[in-house]
Amino acid sequence: MVTITEDIRKEVKDIVYRFFAEECEVDIARIHDQTGIINDLDGDSLMFLELIEIFKKKYSLDIELKVIGKYAVKHPVTTIGQLIDMQLLIIEHGNAILELDK
Amino acid sequence: MNWTNSCLQRLSNDRLAFIFPAFTSDYTDHPAQSVPGFGERFENFLQTAAGLEDIELLSFDFHSNNFLDDELKTQFITYAYSCTLSSLLREVKINPSISAGYSMGIYAALFDTGSVTFGGGLEMIRSAYRSLRSSLDGSYGMGTIIGLSDRDINQLIDKVAPGVQITNRNAAFSYVVSGSREGISCLLNAAKEEGALHIRNLQVSIPYHSVLLKYGAEEFTRRTKHIEIKTPETRILSLIDSSILSTPELIRDELYRNLFRPMNWFTAMETLMKTGITEFLECGPSTALAKNARFTEGIRFYPLTSIFPSPSATS
Repeated sequence: MVTITEDIRKEVKDIVYRFFAEECEVDIARIHDQTGIINDLDGDSLMFLELIEIFKKKYSLDIELKVIGKYAVKHPVTTIGQLIDMQLLIIEHGNAILELDK
Repeated sequence: MNWTNSCLQRLSNDRLAFIFPAFTSDYTDHPAQSVPGFGERFENFLQTAAGLEDIELLSFDFHSNNFLDDELKTQFITYAYSCTLSSLLREVKINPSISAGYSMGIYAALFDTGSVTFGGGLEMIRSAYRSLRSSLDGSYGMGTIIGLSDRDINQLIDKVAPGVQITNRNAAFSYVVSGSREGISCLLNAAKEEGALHIRNLQVSIPYHSVLLKYGAEEFTRRTKHIEIKTPETRILSLIDSSILSTPELIRDELYRNLFRPMNWFTAMETLMKTGITEFLECGPSTALAKNARFTEGIRFYPLTSIFPSPSATS
C-alpha cells in the first residue's frame, strides 16, 4: 500500500508523458490528459505492458498483471489521463485494486 | 547516393543483426521509402515474383494496402520487400554479423545470406503454403495473448481449448497461440476473462508452428528437395532453438521443423544479446518486430528513418 502524494502524482504523470513522447515519437508538448492513446498516438497494448513494468520496478509493486487486466476490462482506458489515474490506483492498491469494485 | 548519416556511421557490423518478418498487416508505414534505390529495385523483385509465381502481384500498391487478405500474396510481397532492403543495405557495407527470420521470414534470411536465390525463396514460400494448406482439414488460425503467463495460458488451454498450442513467446507475458479456429476463439475469450491485457485474432488460416502441421512439413520437404541450398555467407540464427545454421543440411532441417515446431523470439533475442549482438535492423515493411523487442533490455532496433531520413525531414 502506497499513499499517493502530490509528488507521486506529478512523478507518474511525468513518466507517462515522457514515455509516450519517446515511444510514439511525438513532441511532449502535444500530449495532454485528453490525448487518445490509440487514436491520437497510435499506441498499443505492449506499451501499456511496458509502462506497468516501469512502475512495478519504480515502486516495488507486487501485483499480478492479470489483476490489472481484470480491472481494465471493467474500466477501459483510452486516454492518457485515464491511464495515469489507473497507474495511481495500481500503485496505491496493488492486488487489492479489484476490491475497489466491491 | 548519400549514405553519410551519423547514425549509419554508428552502426557496428560486428554487433548488428538483420531480422526478417513473415507478414505484415499494413503496408502504409513503408519504412524503406526513404532508402535510396528502394523503389526501383522493389519493382524489379516484384516483377520477378509476378513472372515466377503470380501475375496479379504486379498490381500491388502500398497505399491501397491490397492483398492483405491473401496470405500467400502477402508473404510474397513481404519477401520481395525484405530482399530488396537487405540487398541494398549490404551494397553499402551494412553487413550484419547474423541474420534471423521470424517464422516464415526465414526465406528472406536465406536469400540475404546467399543461401538461396530469390526464385528459390519464392518457390519455398509457395511450397510451404500449399503443402500446409492441403494437409489441413477444417478451419484453423492463430492468436496473440498479452498479459498472462505461459502457465496461465496452458491452464486455460487444458480447460477450454484442448489441441491449441503456445507456438511463440514474443516477450515475457506476450504469447502466440495456434490451433483450430474454434479453439483459438474459446481460448482468447477465456484469456480476456482471466485478465489478459490484450487478445487478438491473427488473420491467418494456417496454425503456423503447431504440431498439426507435421504432415504438411514432410510434404514441403519432398516438394523442395530439388532447390539448391548453399552454405550461408554469414550466420543464420534458428528461432526454434537459437542454434546457428551454418550448413545446407542444418538449414534444410530447420526449414522442415520451422513449420511445425514452436519458436521462441524472446529467447533468441536474449541469446543474441549474450553473444554481443545488440543492434538490429528490421528488414521488412513494418516495425512490429522492433516493438516486440522492447522487453529485451540492452538491445536497440534502428528505425530505417534514423539512417535514411526522408527528404522532408532533412530539408
